[in-house]
Amino acid sequence: MPGIDECLLEAMRLPGARGAALVDWTSGLALGTVGEAPGGDHETTAAEAAELARMAAEHGAFAAPGDGRPPVEDVIVSNHDSYHLLRFVDTSFDSSVFLHLWLGREEGNLALARIRLGEMASRLVLG
Amino acid sequence: MTVVQIPPPPLPVRDRTAGRALSPMLTRLAEERATGVLVREHGTLYLAEGRVVHAESPLAPGLDVLLTAHGTLATAAWQRAAAQAAGPLHAAELLLETGLLPTGALELCQLDAVYDAGYFALAPSSTPGHFRYDHTPRIGPLPSVPVVALERETLRRRLLLHRLWSDPAADSAPLIRADPARAAPVTPRQRAVLDRVDGVRTATGIARNLGRQAFHTLVDVRRLAAAGHVAPLAPLVAEPPPPPPPPPVTDPDIALLKRLRDALEAL
Repeated sequence: MPGIDECLLEAMRLPGARGAALVDWTSGLALGTVGEAPGGDHETTAAEAAELARMAAEHGAFAAPGDGRPPVEDVIVSNHDSYHLLRFVDTSFDSSVFLHLWLGREEGNLALARIRLGEMASRLVLG
Repeated sequence: MTVVQIPPPPLPVRDRTAGRALSPMLTRLAEERATGVLVREHGTLYLAEGRVVHAESPLAPGLDVLLTAHGTLATAAWQRAAAQAAGPLHAAELLLETGLLPTGALELCQLDAVYDAGYFALAPSSTPGHFRYDHTPRIGPLPSVPVVALERETLRRRLLLHRLWSDPAADSAPLIRADPARAAPVTPRQRAVLDRVDGVRTATGIARNLGRQAFHTLVDVRRLAAAGHVAPLAPLVAEPPPPPPPPPVTDPDIALLKRLRDALEAL
């Protein structure tokens, strides 16, 4: 069963992956990081990504109806250079974490990465 | 009507240049890669080779609470592991070995618990901490945290709370519900906290009840306090009387003080 580091290393094997992190969106703390971060600083990236994740998770406009699951599955940001994919991790215990994958736009395949990151998020906490 | 919300302040970023250590003793122990147990007023840190392998605080729910509160692990399964182990960390390692819980889930809960209890253990205290050299703590299969990382994160968390609402009274006092002047929206996670505000429970009591990290609950409580939804219950004890005025100065050497001031200003 994968731990946090194995999960992040697996994410890095996706085409175009530049960096990955597991981040707590309440505190903005990176619980694990691999590869590069925009601007070279994983901590700043984690705090900024946590802001975005929290906004998406807390604002009713983006939430799916129903209880018990994270209100949002993922948040996708694209720019002319790269994609950022934030995948909320649905844990059976109380937590507020997401996986953040940074993909180069040229080599990255957003659709594939979205599906794979979802699978990794499940395996991380469900085994 | 459009409800315009003032966005909460941004999450602070760690200040790498801050050289301030929270506990000089802890810094020294990290430098000498000490192994043992640091007992402070609000919590205990277990160090192995200068890294924090486990932390406990009466104010933060332990690994057992986080894992059992929502049925991730049956209470009986935790108790069986705890009965065979020398402490909660070893119990968690036992659960990892037996494969009862996914590795990622255990690692995540362990890190959450270390940073959460560590935040309280490193809180300002009125009594000095003491360290016991002890070879029991060791670096095991579950993640450990460098002392510097825990200190920096604790400082960042203090700043985060301060930016949300600068009055720390709601962190420790029993909470009461207040009527906000304007009903600001409440998020689902804040709603769970608000529903447990009963004039008796404190923020950390609510965290335990929810099986949620205490710091995460403090974040919601400070946000709720800022929005006027909750307030700390005023302490029952009366304010202490103001200190007596200083004794009148009978013979101040005004001329000397003036010369001193002039000399300082001339520097």
